[in-house]
Amino acid sequence: MTWDWSFALKILPDLMAGVFYTVLVTLASSAIALTGGLLLAILESVSTAFGRAFVRFWLELARGVPALVLLYFAFYVLPEAGITLPAMPIGIAVLGIVYAAYSSEVYRGSLITIPVELRDACVALNLSPYVTWQRVLVPLMIKRSLPVLVNYVLGLFRETTVLFALGIPVLMGQAIVVADQSFRYLEPFTLASVIYLGMNLPFLFLLSRFKVKYA
Amino acid sequence: MKAILEYWLVLAQGLWVTIWTSVCIIVGAALSAVVLGALRLSDTPALRVASMLVIEAIRAPSALILLFWVFYALPLLPGMPRLSPLAAAILVLALDGGVYGAEIVRAGIEAVHRGQTDACRALGLSKLQSFTKIVLPQALSQIVPAFGSLARSMIKWTAIASFIGVHDVLYVANFVRGQTYETVTVFCLLAAFYWILNVLCGFAFRALEQVLPLNRALRVARVSVRVASKADASVGAAG
Amino acid sequence: MLSAVEFSRSGPFVPAAAAAPMEADGSANRSQQAMWSIEFEKVSKSFGAHRVLVDLDLHVRPGEKVTLIGPSGSGKTTVLRLAMTLEKPTGGDIRVFGESIVFDAAGKPISGSQEARIRRRCGMVFQQFNLFPHLTVLQNLILAPTTVLRQSREQAEKSAFEYLRIVGLENKVHAYPAQLSGGQQQRIAIARALILRPEILLLDEITSALDPELAGEVLDVVRGLAQESKVTLLIVTHEMRFARDVSDRIVVFDAGRIIEQGSPEKIFTNPESERTRAFLRSILNH
Repeated sequence: MTWDWSFALKILPDLMAGVFYTVLVTLASSAIALTGGLLLAILESVSTAFGRAFVRFWLELARGVPALVLLYFAFYVLPEAGITLPAMPIGIAVLGIVYAAYSSEVYRGSLITIPVELRDACVALNLSPYVTWQRVLVPLMIKRSLPVLVNYVLGLFRETTVLFALGIPVLMGQAIVVADQSFRYLEPFTLASVIYLGMNLPFLFLLSRFKVKYA
Repeated sequence: MKAILEYWLVLAQGLWVTIWTSVCIIVGAALSAVVLGALRLSDTPALRVASMLVIEAIRAPSALILLFWVFYALPLLPGMPRLSPLAAAILVLALDGGVYGAEIVRAGIEAVHRGQTDACRALGLSKLQSFTKIVLPQALSQIVPAFGSLARSMIKWTAIASFIGVHDVLYVANFVRGQTYETVTVFCLLAAFYWILNVLCGFAFRALEQVLPLNRALRVARVSVRVASKADASVGAAG
Repeated sequence: MLSAVEFSRSGPFVPAAAAAPMEADGSANRSQQAMWSIEFEKVSKSFGAHRVLVDLDLHVRPGEKVTLIGPSGSGKTTVLRLAMTLEKPTGGDIRVFGESIVFDAAGKPISGSQEARIRRRCGMVFQQFNLFPHLTVLQNLILAPTTVLRQSREQAEKSAFEYLRIVGLENKVHAYPAQLSGGQQQRIAIARALILRPEILLLDEITSALDPELAGEVLDVVRGLAQESKVTLLIVTHEMRFARDVSDRIVVFDAGRIIEQGSPEKIFTNPESERTRAFLRSILNH
């Protein structure tokens, strides 16, 4: 079988729809991941043994179990519990939660590198704990975590491919649908690979900017 | 639960496939990581650029699309082999692990103090000799822990092999779920499988860390310091 | 340490077992005729826009002990690193016993194997010791003899013990570097360089990383070496008393150029240049 340009052109709109959903899912999931991770990190820092155990449990789950298994679990078990949701929100939520666990580790790492003296200064200024977190600690945590977080968002973007397993029309899913309908595999998968590769470029650009800034 | 137990044999087989695939891809990744990582720091610009391109080209699209491409599209190109699902999965995942590992290796090598290679040159060692005898053994103390956490992720990566028909534990679990409708139990079992594998892998790498040359040297030094200070303490007590 | 001092007063510095001549290749013959053990001719070195050495001319006779002094950043260490081919000069030529380590006979950049062969006649001891932390003292010493000179393990170990005796550390054979004091580590590093029987030994601020009370034991070893052996020494140091004791010639550097050179007496008692006087004042008042 040889490369067929006209076929490649014909499937391009379908693949582009996949690109749209991929971007959508990535954005939504990373929003959950980045804010959720921050909240988990704060929870772990301020709370009691219970909060800490809760965060550790999520982290162990995300570390040890494939996202795909968690996706299937949510997809099949939620309806049994009487919650019927479309695949898309389930996929977004599961990936978001998994990566929230990862990013909480990143935030925690940058939180413990903030010097103790800085917290002492906040106490000395009689800042309330809320203001201390909101105006001093959280901005610093975010600033210090940013380069690593971009890396995790990149990882999340790459992992959105598995969402096709729930029938979500991400680029990967669209490529498979097109391939199965036409029994042509070369063009859809090659094009999809190239598009995925291209979609990495913004991330690589961001990362190189950080490298210049923080090196 | 009882219904699931009837399928214990298939489940065990699936688990075996997952374990076996994991071992293969972790070993394959380790080897390709050392080669790619060393090439990445080569003195020859062409080699450096080539290895960088390979690394980016494999890393940028996710493993899943590469897996589908290798399994479905690659055989359509003239002269290319049709790989079995397992072979395709091992190839793609090992390479993918290799490119992530290459960055780990590179960072580990760069962390070895510049003076060490200066000393190697001053002693007349060749580049290969100083890499294998001096730089790599020391870099391993940085590389192995980081590679350990990569290896733990790689166990999870094997899950996507089920998409092209590898009968791994996820594939089998989906089958058992369809037969028994015990979704919650099956998936809890599955999650436990992966989690335990992951923990075992962590243990294995921690054991490996213990035998690395630099770690051993530093441990000996620490122990002797501690023994010495203990001796001092007892002298003090006697006086 | 005691034995090192003792040794420097008695016995020949090169132990009998290790006193065999360099492997006989063409260069050994030529070295006897060569007038200079190392020559720098119009050598310059820049890192980017920063010029570290400017048109350096320096000729060292075989067996001569030369000490380079001068303010930090004046290019002394770069001279040693160039001689060891750890850096490439930006311009000019460097010759070791008459053979260039920059160009081959045809005037092209020298090949790696050529360079390695000539480089073997030089040894270097570093400010930061640079012992291999994952190897024991013995393994540190025999690595180069077994891999570079292809000696047998027994032979290499035998000469390792001899050189350990010279630096007074024969009881530390199986220790790891991290178990030794800085002074002991540096003495091991000296033994590691000597075991290859270099004809030129480059000593780069070998006591700068040591506490003052540990520097003495290292300097005593070098004093012994300077008295007893015919090795050419090229030394960078801030220890002026030591420089005076061991050197045949002192070379004063400033801003990448030689500003003055001469016998230790002349430089330390009656320097010509005002800049030399200023440097010596600053270091002696310190």
